[in-house]
Formats: sequence, C-alpha cells, structure tokens
Amino acid sequence: MSLKLGYLLRETFSNLWRNVSLTIAAVITVLVSLSMFGAALMVGDGVDNATERWEGGIEFVVWLNPDIDAAQDSAIEETLLELQNRNQIDRFDYVDQEATYQEFLELFADSPETLEAVEPANMPPSYRVVPTDPDAEVISELASQFRERAGVRDVVLATEVIKEVQRTADRISQTTLIFSVVLVIAAVLLILNTIIMAISARRREIEVMKLVGATNWFIRLPFMFEGLIFGLIGAGLSIPAMIFIRSYLIEPISDTDALALLQGFEVSNNELMNIIYVNLGLGIIVAVVGSAVAVSRHLDV
Amino acid sequence: MIKLENVTKTYKGNVTALHAANADIAKGEFVFLVGPSGSGKSTFIRLLNREEMPDEGRIFVAGKDIGQLSSWKVPYLRRNIGCIFQDFKLLPRKTVAENVAFALEVIGRPKHVIHKQVPAILELVGLASKIDRFPDQLSGGEQQRVSIARAFVNRPLILLADEPTGNLDPATSVGIMRLLDRINRTGTTVVMATHDRGIVDTMRRRVIELDRGSIVRDQARGVYE
Repeated sequence: MSLKLGYLLRETFSNLWRNVSLTIAAVITVLVSLSMFGAALMVGDGVDNATERWEGGIEFVVWLNPDIDAAQDSAIEETLLELQNRNQIDRFDYVDQEATYQEFLELFADSPETLEAVEPANMPPSYRVVPTDPDAEVISELASQFRERAGVRDVVLATEVIKEVQRTADRISQTTLIFSVVLVIAAVLLILNTIIMAISARRREIEVMKLVGATNWFIRLPFMFEGLIFGLIGAGLSIPAMIFIRSYLIEPISDTDALALLQGFEVSNNELMNIIYVNLGLGIIVAVVGSAVAVSRHLDV
Repeated sequence: MIKLENVTKTYKGNVTALHAANADIAKGEFVFLVGPSGSGKSTFIRLLNREEMPDEGRIFVAGKDIGQLSSWKVPYLRRNIGCIFQDFKLLPRKTVAENVAFALEVIGRPKHVIHKQVPAILELVGLASKIDRFPDQLSGGEQQRVSIARAFVNRPLILLADEPTGNLDPATSVGIMRLLDRINRTGTTVVMATHDRGIVDTMRRRVIELDRGSIVRDQARGVYE
C-alpha cells in the first residue's frame, strides 16, 4: 500500500513538473475564478448585513427649509411627538444646521469649491425618524403626511436609499458572479487540457501498463490526482485572496462616513469561513470534472 | 489453455481479419502462427489478449470465456498473459531494471518482491550485467531480452509473441528463440506469430497457418510451408 501511495505521488508530481507552465496557468485560473466567486458572495453578504442592520431602524428624513420659522418647526415636532405617543414612531432625532453642515463638510471634503459656497445658514435642518413598523408601505404613508406641510423642503425615505444600495450591490455581485462562472469554465477546460497533455506525454507508459495488467483505476488515478491538486492549490491560494479582498475592498466600504447605510457593510468571520468552504468545494468540483472528462475521453482503458 | 470456437473478426470497411477460426492449444504448447502479412496473425494474438473483441464465436483462455469478461476484469486476465513485440515497447527513460520493475509496480507488487524478482529474471535472460543501462544503450537482441524479462517476470501462463525476431538479425534471433524455448519448458504456453521460415523449420513445433483470415493448416511438428 505504501508503495502504491508512493507511486501515486511520484507519478503525479512528475506530471506536474513536466508541464510546469500549464500547471501554473491552471492553478492561477482556478485561483482567480474562485476569488471572483468569493468576492461576489462577499458583496452579497455585505449588503445583506448592511440592510439588515438598517431594518431595525428604517429611517425617513424630513428636510426642513433653512429659513423655517419656529411655529412651523414646532408644529412638525408636535406631529412627530403625537405619532410617537400613538406608538407609530419609535423615536426621532433633530439634526440642526450646524450638525448638517458638519456632515456636509465630511461628504464634500474632496471638493473645497463646493464647501466655499455654503455656510451653516444654508443648511437644511432635519428630523430623522425611526418608525415602529418596518413595513415599507406604512413608512411611506407616515412620511408622506409631512411632504405638504409648511416649512418642509423634502421627505426622503431611507428605503429608497436601501433599495438603491441593494440594486447596485446586486449588480456588482451578479456581474462578478457571471465573470467568475466564465472563469470557472476556463479553469475546467484548462485542467482538462493539461491532463490530456499529461496523458499523451505518457502514451507509452500507459500502453505498457495496460499490457501487463494494471487496473484501470491504477492508470487513471495519477491523472485524477493531478487535476485534484490544481483544484486544491487554487482553492487553497484563494483563502488568503479572500482575506485580502475582505480587508482591502469590503472593510473600507464599511469604514466610509459618506453613507451611514454602508456602515453595516461587513463580512463576518463566520461568513468568510463559509465562503472559504464553498470555494474549496467548488475547487474540488472543478478539478474532478476537468480530470474526469480528460480521463474518460482520452484514457480508454 | 486457449480455445477458439468459430471466431470471426471484421474490421471497419468489411476487412475480414479472421474468419470462422477454430483452434485448441493445450497448456505448455509452443505454437507458431504463420502466413503472409494481413493474414490475421496479429488479430489472432490481439484477440487472445482481449485488445480486440471477436464479432462472432467464443474465445476461452485458461477456461474462461473472455468475451464474457467484464472490462474491469481484463487487467487480471492480462496478468496471466505476457506479451512481446517486434518493436519491444520499452520505456526509453527507464533503465533495464526499471523497465522490468515497472511491470510489477503497476500491478501493485510489494517492493521486496520487486527487489527479488527483477534481478532474478534479468539473470535468466542474460542481462545481469546491464541492469542500469538505458534501452538506447542496448542492441536489438538485448532490448528484446528486456522485453521478454518484463513479459515473464510475473510468471504468466501464456506468452504471446508478435514477430519477436522481426527486427533482429538471424544470429540474434536464434538467441531469442533459445530463450523462448527455455520459457516454454517451464510450462508456459507460447504463441508466436512469425515470418521467419528458418526459425519455424528449425524448431519443428506446432504450426497454424493463416491465409486471408482462415486457418488453412494446423500441423504438429510442422514447417513454414
């Protein structure tokens, strides 16, 4: 048995070494396809987490005119308090002109000319409202009653923002997924061809093996194993790639102050582990499919 | 040991390689297959090894109908059949000893068995001094000895030889035939396809003559024609 394992490893690695450039190409393709696949899953997880966190406190924002008079302002506040008493609103925060200006400063930190044109007095103060019922229709009804009130400039539903973020993230995730699937197909074909090359390089050995009565699996196994190694190395290398993508692409999004919604855009360690497992599984599937097709088509034993 | 019952083999394009062939070869016999090129000698050999399947008729090897053999059992059939060829089919990157060891290794023989049997069989074929040479460092006759060692190291019941002296000069051929004769004397059944009139006439063994796929003569202690 030890001899057989030794034989298997020896044959496999001599195949890998003989085709070293193809080996590298196959491993890289597996790595890149799995990394893109994992990135797509991470974006999906991230947006789920971001919007999930939002669900607890879906907001709408009542933007007031900068020059609103005190009577109009307190009338709106009264309505909000009344809604809170009727338990339709969980809580609401007043964001004054100075605080809004601070947000604005952060948001437009990169364009000083925009900042020069504004001062706190231009800023619209706002009420940020957390309704009790997260249902989108209820919220939109709640919000709409402020739209026509005196002194109100605009009412913005956070759900629209969420939906926009979800749509964008979905598009990113789907596009990445499509490219990753295309690359997965390329990986399968590359593994297939690499193994066909290995088989044809060993035609004579295979002929002799058949003649002296080596079993079919004995002949096939080194080639299957070779494919498996492409899959496993590619999937293994995708683990650091996943960690890199999380810290380099996903985490900066949640660190941004630009959009409060994105602060929940995170991928937890558990989710990362799950993605890694999925990648390992996919890597093995890619390898087995590629090498099984090569062996069954080109190794008629 | 070997029995053919009404065996017919037709290749694509209606080339009849063997037609209604009957033969019964006992254990320990030495049989020459003779006949012109394309008469069906190679097909005869390939059928015994189940490299080909008959279209009609049945073939028994060691009591088993090999047409009924499921494909996963074919390797085990072949372990009982050694094969040698005109072109030796040695692996150029392996030494003499490695070439022979390879045949044992790939059927899962343990290392200590290989270490014992390989030098012994190379001694038997007269190549003990050349075990570390590569095939291209050997003469044709020596290469054929390596291939015989590889075919016989597993002590098969049957040795199939397809024109084993086809690439060798007459003097070298005599040496190879002595070796095959010795192997035959150990009880191994030998079936040898050949064009070599001199060998057939000298050895005076059973001769099966084929002509355009039909057995036209089956003669004990026969001659080439």
